[in-house]
Amino acid sequence: MKILEIQELTKAFPGVVALDSVNMDLEAGEIHSLVGENGAGKSTLVKILAGVYRPTSGRFSLMGEEMHFHSPKDASKHIGVVHQERELVPHFSGYQNLFLGLEETKAGFLKRRAMISKAREFISKYHLDVDMSLPAKQLGSGQQEMLTILKVLFRDPKIIIFDEPTAPLSIKEIEILFTLIRDLRSKGMTILYISHHLSEVLEISDRITVLRNGKKVATVENGDQISERKLISLMISKDLENQYPKTKTEIGKEVFSVKDYSSVRSKFSNISFSIREGEIAGFAGLVGAGRTELAKSIFSGAKHESGEITLNGKRFTSKSSGQSVRKGIAMIPENRRAEGLFVQMSVKDNLIVPHLSSLSKIGFTVRKDINEYVGKAIKRFSIKVSSPEQLVRTLSGGNQQKVSVGKWMGENALVWIFDEPTQGIDVDAKTEIYNIMGSLAKNGAGIWFISSDLRELVAISDRIYVMKGFKILGEFVPPFDEEEILALMIGEKKS
Amino acid sequence: MTKKKIQIQQFLTQFGTIIALVAVFIVFTSFVSGFIQVKNLLNILRQIALLAIISEGFTMCLIVGELDLSFAHVASLTSVIVAGLIFSGMNPLLAIIISLSVGAAFGIVAGLLVTKVGIPSLITTLATGIIATGLIYAYTKGVSFYGKMPDSFLALGRGNFGPIPSLVIIMLLVVFAAHLMINNMKIGKYMQATGANKMAARLAGVNTDKYKILALVLSGTAASITGILLTSKLGAANPEGATGFMMDGFAAALLGETVLSVGRASPFGTFIGALMIGVLNNGMTLAGAPYYMQDITKGAIIILSVTITSIQAKMLEGK
Repeated sequence: MKILEIQELTKAFPGVVALDSVNMDLEAGEIHSLVGENGAGKSTLVKILAGVYRPTSGRFSLMGEEMHFHSPKDASKHIGVVHQERELVPHFSGYQNLFLGLEETKAGFLKRRAMISKAREFISKYHLDVDMSLPAKQLGSGQQEMLTILKVLFRDPKIIIFDEPTAPLSIKEIEILFTLIRDLRSKGMTILYISHHLSEVLEISDRITVLRNGKKVATVENGDQISERKLISLMISKDLENQYPKTKTEIGKEVFSVKDYSSVRSKFSNISFSIREGEIAGFAGLVGAGRTELAKSIFSGAKHESGEITLNGKRFTSKSSGQSVRKGIAMIPENRRAEGLFVQMSVKDNLIVPHLSSLSKIGFTVRKDINEYVGKAIKRFSIKVSSPEQLVRTLSGGNQQKVSVGKWMGENALVWIFDEPTQGIDVDAKTEIYNIMGSLAKNGAGIWFISSDLRELVAISDRIYVMKGFKILGEFVPPFDEEEILALMIGEKKS
Repeated sequence: MTKKKIQIQQFLTQFGTIIALVAVFIVFTSFVSGFIQVKNLLNILRQIALLAIISEGFTMCLIVGELDLSFAHVASLTSVIVAGLIFSGMNPLLAIIISLSVGAAFGIVAGLLVTKVGIPSLITTLATGIIATGLIYAYTKGVSFYGKMPDSFLALGRGNFGPIPSLVIIMLLVVFAAHLMINNMKIGKYMQATGANKMAARLAGVNTDKYKILALVLSGTAASITGILLTSKLGAANPEGATGFMMDGFAAALLGETVLSVGRASPFGTFIGALMIGVLNNGMTLAGAPYYMQDITKGAIIILSVTITSIQAKMLEGK
């Protein structure tokens, strides 16, 4: 019996179609996995099923009845989601978390005893060892995960979605989780399982659906003829050259290098890599591989036990981001609204903040120099504004990103760190960002390019480093073997 | 809604506070005799001088994203210190310099606690404010200081340059300096960046701790200027002399956040805020309104102005 049927489901955001006419179904009592690269549409699909987004078009029905969720709370009675971030109140005990939003009361007072005994009775069905009287924050990560799952189950959904559940878990805890998932299946629960770890997917699924670029590629029965390699080849598309303009550059001498960089506190071990003039060095890896952390540590001059960094042939040391900037490193951070921009301030003010020293005389800003500088930056990075006084918060995502990049223009940085520069911006703006990176490289800068979008990474980079678990696992040169890179990123481990 | 309507609405919300000020002004001019006279207008400026100066200091804190609850207490403290020192026979200039340093020192201590130790400024300055009050009573034993002060010192708070009171001139200098610093100087831009997004400012190479400390020091210094001028104006000092500036200082700066730009503190805005409070106090007093009506009206005006700002912010979000 089909419990969930998804028909022509589409979700469009301004400038990008995240989910494109997807059809799929879930059989009652199966474990169905959803795989795909970053940006393939997995999380969009989950968010629609969880009532976070409403679809642009298309529909889905649960047991033959078409569903229209208005809120996540609305959805949770039908479809439960175990999110990557555990949604527990840290100082609430297990049963308080379980009953969150469903508290039983009498004349406004909590019926504590009744809830505790109900919670006990409920948990006993699942043979789980979770201490319900302790505050959630005192539980280990495995137990927190179990509590999160119990919380979802307590709402009595028909389907339960696991979104990357194993990321924070140890191997032993993963085993316990899998036992639980199988147990749920035997009790008749339908499970949608989302993971980057293909070995896990192959171990636990009955069927697997592959998404690519917002479209469904295939749904396959799990069995002997399915392998990780087979899934990877379905996940990767082969026909997308034009979308990623690559500027021809002359690659020169080494401009930046890191040797044996280790830090116990931030978990890096023996990181070595180098970037040459005119080169775009891509950093591939899954979320949590340590790519952003590495860039931030080096840029902000964090403490490290060993490692030698050279910039332009000279030993590079830095105690703060300010020093790194003055020595010639620019950083365009991943989360532009949180770290890259002053959204309440004007485009002009955003662009000049890093350059005020050269734009001021005896402490006073020089209006003529500023206007000239700002005009140039707006033109060079083709930032679309009605006036330089426009507030950054009113710009589109792509234009905001261009301001975030444009901030560093006058600095003539030798190394530019771009952390996920194309995240959440539309296709045209992406192309412009690639061109900006290309033209910086052409002028002789080294580009340190972090991206979770493997297609753009492969298309734009001159060299790719793969990170996993705060280590660099491999270095690739063109022509890139995408499958090989993805396999290394994901880590084909036997669990 | 038509485009024109949207523009009118935007205009009204953007300049709402100034329009409200003009409206209040017109009402008082029409219905309160003696309000529009030059002498009274100068009087209003003289009345708001101390408030405007102390509020500009607080505005610096708002700009870097911090709070200062201690400024009124620090002003009271410096008011009694400068009086005490002068009565003990000290040279007035030296007494002023020592009093200014006391205010600045309060700012440095609070700034270090906020940035290096990491205590929220709300708590830090609440505590330093209480300490300042304690120091006042330790120094004065709870009595007011009266006596003969040198004319040179009294001229600061009571003198005139031609028809213009010296207090008004000092206020205009402070407001102008604050405006220039925030809008035309490097440190001002860095302070704005620090308050707008600390993380982004750091990544852009701005030493955000330095500018937070600077703002608290400026607030402490502005408070001590206010305290000194208060003593000079009254020719005396009492332990709680500047306490009243707490509420009005907040009101002026927060009203100021509704002037010109959405929810952003600015020296000019704060001046308008102080002016609004001064005009209301003066006009209502002349009209013979009971003192409690002044408080009720001030509170209502603040709610009204902030409402306008919130509506504007929501309109921007909705776009």
